[in-house]
Amino acid sequence: MENHLLEVKNVDIFYGDAQAVRDVSFHVDQKQIIALVGANGAGKSTLLNAISSFNQPRRGGILFSGKSIAKLKPEEVAAMGISHVPEGRRLFSRLTVLENLELGAYLPNTRLFLKESLGRAFDLFPVLRGRLHQSAGTLSGGEQQMLAIARALMARPILLMLDEPSLGLAPIFVRRLFETIEALNKGGVTILLVEQNIPQTLKIADYAYVLQTGAVRMEGRGEGLINDPNFQQAFLGLMRAKK
Amino acid sequence: MNGILVGCMYGVAAIGLSLIFGCMEIVFIAQGAVMVLAAYCIYWMFTWTSIDPFLGFLVIIPIFLGFGWVVYTGLFQRVAKAGKNPSLLLAFGLMVLLEHVMSLVWSPNTRTVAASYSASALRLSGIIISFTRLMVSIIALITTGLVFLFLKKTMLGKAVRGVSEDMRAAALLGISPIRVSAATFSIGIALAGIAGVATAITYPFDPYFGFLFSLKALIAVAFGGLGSVEGAFLGGIILGALESLSSYTISAGWADAVAYVTFLIILVMRPKGLLGRSVEKV
Repeated sequence: MENHLLEVKNVDIFYGDAQAVRDVSFHVDQKQIIALVGANGAGKSTLLNAISSFNQPRRGGILFSGKSIAKLKPEEVAAMGISHVPEGRRLFSRLTVLENLELGAYLPNTRLFLKESLGRAFDLFPVLRGRLHQSAGTLSGGEQQMLAIARALMARPILLMLDEPSLGLAPIFVRRLFETIEALNKGGVTILLVEQNIPQTLKIADYAYVLQTGAVRMEGRGEGLINDPNFQQAFLGLMRAKK
Repeated sequence: MNGILVGCMYGVAAIGLSLIFGCMEIVFIAQGAVMVLAAYCIYWMFTWTSIDPFLGFLVIIPIFLGFGWVVYTGLFQRVAKAGKNPSLLLAFGLMVLLEHVMSLVWSPNTRTVAASYSASALRLSGIIISFTRLMVSIIALITTGLVFLFLKKTMLGKAVRGVSEDMRAAALLGISPIRVSAATFSIGIALAGIAGVATAITYPFDPYFGFLFSLKALIAVAFGGLGSVEGAFLGGIILGALESLSSYTISAGWADAVAYVTFLIILVMRPKGLLGRSVEKV
């Protein structure tokens, strides 16, 4: 039995009586980029929220570094080393760029490295340095995404979870985004990526799970999936669903 | 004008109300009752020990910070998960409890705190200003400044602003909304305490003033806009000025009516208040 960094085992998640996730299992190992892809309503965000402990699976379990997150509060999950950039980013729009970043390093053990973490954030996203004292709400879409990711990195996470980071971004930003994600991963950050943008996601993912109506329909190595005829059929199905 | 000085007191209580609303999303209706409680504390302190009431400000702060923390962790924290209604009811219950207990224990009679210099006044460019009111306003200004610095410069202050904007996003960063709410609530109570001491020094009071004060603080917050500390304080000053103006120009009885009517007008025409911000998720 291998020890995975993150393990989601046979998880069922309900919203009231509606089942959002059915018997989903996947795992993430250190240094990987793992992707969960699928159309709207496939259950991807629900899964990330369950990992962050915003909802409780009715069945199954979620383990991080071997420990169950079942009884933890969201802030305790974050303190374990999981940083989650939620759908829509959820920046503190009334606070400045700098204040957003500082709050990213709120946890006491990360606060010691605040200056260093800020430096790394600016290396990664130089444009933020020029906007330090602006309200986060005044940034452009692409800049906000950068800030959201930078803020999540301030806590020096073991696992970074990104929920649809390319949503609403112009194509040129999307490409840069995926390049950044890859660079982060090469630098040692383990990434769980949830996306609707399938081609670019599969190019950088080590392994991907395709979700449809709450269940895993297919899984495989990124490159392999693209060329798999079964996947292409499912993929086309998803493309049609989007339209 | 005396109105502005009185308004400073409303302002301080209003800031407390605004902060509590930001983090806990309820209108803490007992704010006024807490003010009255503080007024009584200072009254007894003065009556028994003859300590200068102004020193009371310093004494009240730690006591009420502690009191607020106890009330939050003992009561509000337990109902936090159950939604907003239980919290609102709790606040209401607290108000009723405080008022009645104070009335029982300390009698419904009006009290005044009269220090030796209470009656002295200054003359500034033709306007007569009571010494006490001036001092109280200065203290109110300093308090507001300190709260502003706290929110802007300290990590906890920034966390308070973050949590009041987006609790989930804060939790994702490892910030505990419960702990931050406890701190915010305590500060809100301490601010009510300061406003209460100010009230004791300036007016005669009785246990049932609480509700009226809560209302005034609420109006001040509405004037200034939710989510803005400066706004809440400004709102207080505007309210005070408005009351004072109406008192002079119409009559004292109408002062309240004018305040309430203006409140309604603001709610209808500019619900965000003067400095309020609209809620926007990024």
